[in-house]
Amino acid sequence: MSFETSIALRYLVASRRRAHVALISTISMLGLAVGVAALVISLSLLSGFQDRIRAQMAQRTPHLRVSPTRGAVLPDPERVHQALSSLAGVADVEPAIEGRGWASGSGVEATLPVRFRNAAAGELPEATEGDPPPARVSAAVATRTRSAAGDLLRLTSARTRLSPVGPIPVAIVFRVAAVRRVAALEKSPDVEVPEDAARLLSGVSTGARAFEAHLRDPNRAETAARGVALVLGPDYRVETWRQLNAPLSFALRLEKSVIFATVALVILVAALNIVSNIALTVVEKKRDLGVLTSLGATPGSLARIYLTLGAIIGALGTGLGLIVGVSASLLLDRYEVVRLPSDVYLLTHVPFAVHPREVALVAAFALATAVAAAVLPARAAARLAPGEAVRLSR
Amino acid sequence: MSSSAGSREEAAAATLAVKATGLSKTYMGEAAPVPVFRNLEFTLAEGVFAAVMGPSGVGKSTLLHLLGGIDRPDSGRVEIFGVSLEDLGPRERARFRNERIGFVFQFHHLLPEFTAEENVAFPHRIAGVSSREARERAAALLERVGLADRRLHMSRALSGGEQQRVAIARALARSPSLLLADEPTGNLDAESARSVFDLLAELHRERGMTTVLVTHNPDLAKRCDKIFEMSREAILPATGFSG
Repeated sequence: MSFETSIALRYLVASRRRAHVALISTISMLGLAVGVAALVISLSLLSGFQDRIRAQMAQRTPHLRVSPTRGAVLPDPERVHQALSSLAGVADVEPAIEGRGWASGSGVEATLPVRFRNAAAGELPEATEGDPPPARVSAAVATRTRSAAGDLLRLTSARTRLSPVGPIPVAIVFRVAAVRRVAALEKSPDVEVPEDAARLLSGVSTGARAFEAHLRDPNRAETAARGVALVLGPDYRVETWRQLNAPLSFALRLEKSVIFATVALVILVAALNIVSNIALTVVEKKRDLGVLTSLGATPGSLARIYLTLGAIIGALGTGLGLIVGVSASLLLDRYEVVRLPSDVYLLTHVPFAVHPREVALVAAFALATAVAAAVLPARAAARLAPGEAVRLSR
Repeated sequence: MSSSAGSREEAAAATLAVKATGLSKTYMGEAAPVPVFRNLEFTLAEGVFAAVMGPSGVGKSTLLHLLGGIDRPDSGRVEIFGVSLEDLGPRERARFRNERIGFVFQFHHLLPEFTAEENVAFPHRIAGVSSREARERAAALLERVGLADRRLHMSRALSGGEQQRVAIARALARSPSLLLADEPTGNLDAESARSVFDLLAELHRERGMTTVLVTHNPDLAKRCDKIFEMSREAILPATGFSG
């Protein structure tokens, strides 16, 4: 241990004669701990929600999507299907047949512009003989068209077909099989219908507008996308589920950054306390600084004593804050302490998720802030005139 | 001791321990500048035990601070063993102080949060000596100044005389060539003052140092090799002291 560290430690463990300094040190440390704990809990809360949203995003959105760079349909769908099917770790490959139209519920005259597409295999129940084909609609569409499971929903395509009376829009009546809740900004179709109905509505009788694949590990999507893009060349656009949901991902990141910046203010306020604490110690220990200079200590060494003091206060405060913050987050999640009304939210309780990377970021920020808070008083200590310090401290 | 001063000074005349030329110092007071001294000249041969006397406020402590390089003169030069302190950068100056100069202050100025042994070990720690070795060396030095049984006591728990002995041990930790003692007995009772001075004199002899002692006590001054009278204008060899 360097002599600077041993002096800083001894200054921190104040004697009875320096009880006021000990009190201020404790307050500085607790202030930092509160800030760190608040930041860890806030980020865990956000991560808890965002992890759920991302998991749903990874579940509902295809992990890879290949569409043509130009034109509405894939020029060589077989080649695309083969490129995706031959990927390692691929779970399924489905054609995407999609388009735009208008939805209207029974008894509601107003129509709602919607995006439709074919549902993945096994997603919809088999249609019973004589009954309209099934469809799954988003909660927003269900609300606006006043439809619920079992109701009929008319979907009119933007495409027309020729009839004896001239061109008329293609329309199909579906029975709502399920209503699904969609996260804000989530990129998903409003209405999912069987493949043959989707082909009829969109006019894509063969091939597909795009091919979509699910992977067993969604985190491998970026690597897989690079491989597929290399095989297919520039005529095809390969997107991952993260790119497809870029606006939502950006919103989630922004939300976390804003919360970090806001709650981190508590740490900055605690840092001001550290500044005053260390400045007080510099003034009180002015004579020691003069004496240490007379013994051969350099101005840099004197500054290091106070930087170390800041670092020790920072480390103790950060350590305590991390213990409190991480423990509270784990307990709040484990025992589902904060319950949510299930008729309003998709979740039954507020989830908390502790991400080691975020905890490390909070720790680094708090420590850096504490050391930075010590810089000004440390520089003052280094600039002290030692002769004067000894002369005036009798 | 003063009887042999002449011969010792002659022998050491070739090497000057202290050479101060044209020293001036003014402190910035709250209302106006406070001049301390002007154009002081002071030389001291190596190995001499010198006492500096003079009325309060003439700048005796300031002179020691300038000689030790913990303060800078407004004008003039200080050379210690031929090394000009003005020519040294902050790091070299600090190293020079650590290796060549020892300070003893009137109010001992021990660090109160540390034991006697830790206080004496500081000069070694500053020099980069390991904690264990520094403490071993400090313990040996404390034994030399008669405080072996008090080495683990907190410095503030020691008596005034003991604290000053610890301060002397700390000043001598790095075996300096020049010891600057600023009224080391000024705050002690007569018995402790005599005891501390005896220790200083013994250590001076043992280690062959050059010592500058600021004191108001003429009896102690008489026991030094050389006595200087300081005023705001000059430091001159004292007259009127027998010895």
